[in-house]
Amino acid sequence: MDALNHLLAGFAAALSFKYLMFALVGCVLGTLIGVLPGLGPAAGTAILIPLTFSLDATGAIIMLCAIYYGAMYGGTITSVLLNVPGEAASVVTCIDGYQMALQGRAGTALAIAAIGSFVGGTLATVALVMVATPLATLALKFGPVEFFALMVAGLCLVVGLAGKNMLAALLMTVIGLLFAMIGVDPVRGAPRFTFGVEELYDGIGFVPVVMGLFGVAELLLAAEQRQARIIQANLNKWMPTKEERRASVGAIGRGTVVGFVLGLIPGVGAIVPTFMAYVIEKRVSKTPERFGKGAIEGVASAETANNAYANAAMVPLLALGIPSSPTIAVLMGAFIINGITPGPFLFQEQPTLVWTVIASFFVGNALLLILNLPLVGLWAKLLKIPFSYMCTGVLIFCIIGAYGLKQSMFDVWVMLGFGIIGYLLRKLDFPIAPAILALILGPMMEKSLRTTLEISGGSFAIFLERPVALVLLTVPVIVLGALLLRPKTFSKLRESDVD
Amino acid sequence: MRQGRLIATGAMLAFCLFALWQSLLLSLTDRLGPGPGFFPFWLALIGTVLAVALLFTTFREPADPADAEVRILPQGPGVRRWLAIVVLVAATAVAMEVIGFRLAMLAFNAALVIALGERRWWLIGVFAIGGSFGVHYIFTRWLDVLLPDGLIWG
Repeated sequence: MDALNHLLAGFAAALSFKYLMFALVGCVLGTLIGVLPGLGPAAGTAILIPLTFSLDATGAIIMLCAIYYGAMYGGTITSVLLNVPGEAASVVTCIDGYQMALQGRAGTALAIAAIGSFVGGTLATVALVMVATPLATLALKFGPVEFFALMVAGLCLVVGLAGKNMLAALLMTVIGLLFAMIGVDPVRGAPRFTFGVEELYDGIGFVPVVMGLFGVAELLLAAEQRQARIIQANLNKWMPTKEERRASVGAIGRGTVVGFVLGLIPGVGAIVPTFMAYVIEKRVSKTPERFGKGAIEGVASAETANNAYANAAMVPLLALGIPSSPTIAVLMGAFIINGITPGPFLFQEQPTLVWTVIASFFVGNALLLILNLPLVGLWAKLLKIPFSYMCTGVLIFCIIGAYGLKQSMFDVWVMLGFGIIGYLLRKLDFPIAPAILALILGPMMEKSLRTTLEISGGSFAIFLERPVALVLLTVPVIVLGALLLRPKTFSKLRESDVD
Repeated sequence: MRQGRLIATGAMLAFCLFALWQSLLLSLTDRLGPGPGFFPFWLALIGTVLAVALLFTTFREPADPADAEVRILPQGPGVRRWLAIVVLVAATAVAMEVIGFRLAMLAFNAALVIALGERRWWLIGVFAIGGSFGVHYIFTRWLDVLLPDGLIWG
């Protein structure tokens, strides 16, 4: 009941003209980012952080969250019209969405994606309201021992699900944690790994690193590739037929459940729920042979799961302070920039902010539906922006974002350096997500561990004496063990069900 | 690609060894408990072990024919665009401190769109001015973001 009252108050604030405009601008910019091939939600959210510098904390977070789920939807447009996913989670949408476009049903594919995204996002936010408060209340009982165990568990799950090579993912996590050690020691205040460079006393900036690894690296990759061919689709006819609507209802329902449940697990990433929803839909279908040839359920299930995941992934962030994906880590960075630490205390210390932000998720989902159904033709026109202008425009934002946070040119160099590193790491198939999450969690992990060891007088046995910590540390051992024993489970699943 | 992975893992191993050495220069423990070097020391040690293990497994893995097609460094016509992005961002970072955001970005915008294939001069001009003076106006006046004025404007 308390949560409902808070939520209603949140709605009152979120529907005020100011926050409504921030959500609208965020949705528009997010969709724009999603539409531009190669720029994913993580890069989009990071490069648009400078737009929020002058906003109050609530406004800034509302806008960045709107950018996030706007980008999640925007990726659909390129998947359907170009057969190029605007972001990784839209890969599955390409399979049937592009086929629908070839058959002259691009408008219907985009419409069902918008409807599925709205339903999935809204229902996932309802579930978020119900789950987040009890989870945060439970987490309030956590001490540094449990928090350290929780962060280890979160990182290990990310590592386990990050890619083919678990050793590489583990190494990337450690590298990310080591970069997080640069700067002033969070417990004693002693400078570390600064080598007398003044700019390093504040540590390596999270924003320039993310802009480099995601924004600049993606542009460098795109600079090598050729532009894809756009389908000249008829987007005026977008209303699904009665039969298509009936076929999509079940897919949307199942996609919501899959997206929400998997969104709660750190490290799953947006691509797994969409694949899983698609695979389930194909398995339950009476005519699975239609999948891959323009089945509307294929688009509906993947897009619904995608947005349900995006909203559910906010639960671990808001309730536990654990980012479950690089984009959520960027949002966590935005919280920290605004002087707010996500986690269980957020619901106690900043109830107005957190409930306004949650209410804005509902508002944002509705805005996206309104924006995307009638304006789909307009978004499609953006695909005609030449790469030269898109690339230069994005780099302007990257340079401003890297410089603007601390007025430091050093951060622009950091961004460029990490851009080149990110480019090479992607080419070499090293997973970047674990390093990003480790970079943001590093200082908190160190503080929790050192406080724990100060409490225990230096004994690690404290982790065995606290049941919650023990359980949390057991989970990653089981997950990593299972993945080591059966490393090809996911790839086999993909190969067998998604052509 | 395997050679590239070996080089990258070797670089990470060197980074971990360097971090290990640097963390040993800090105190690992003091009378209050773990010191500033404690966490980085263990991380660097774990990283070193992981990097060695990865080097070993990469070295032993059989050659994949698909790997031969993957080119690590940019090749062909893409290399010019790739270099243009890197060199121009670096040049802009240097130039912004001297001539300020507006002029540096004016040159950056014009040079990059040309390097990426644009040839319509009027469009290049409009974009370069909008993306430098226009963006500066919006960010400094409306969004309160401080941007460098350089030695000329300062």
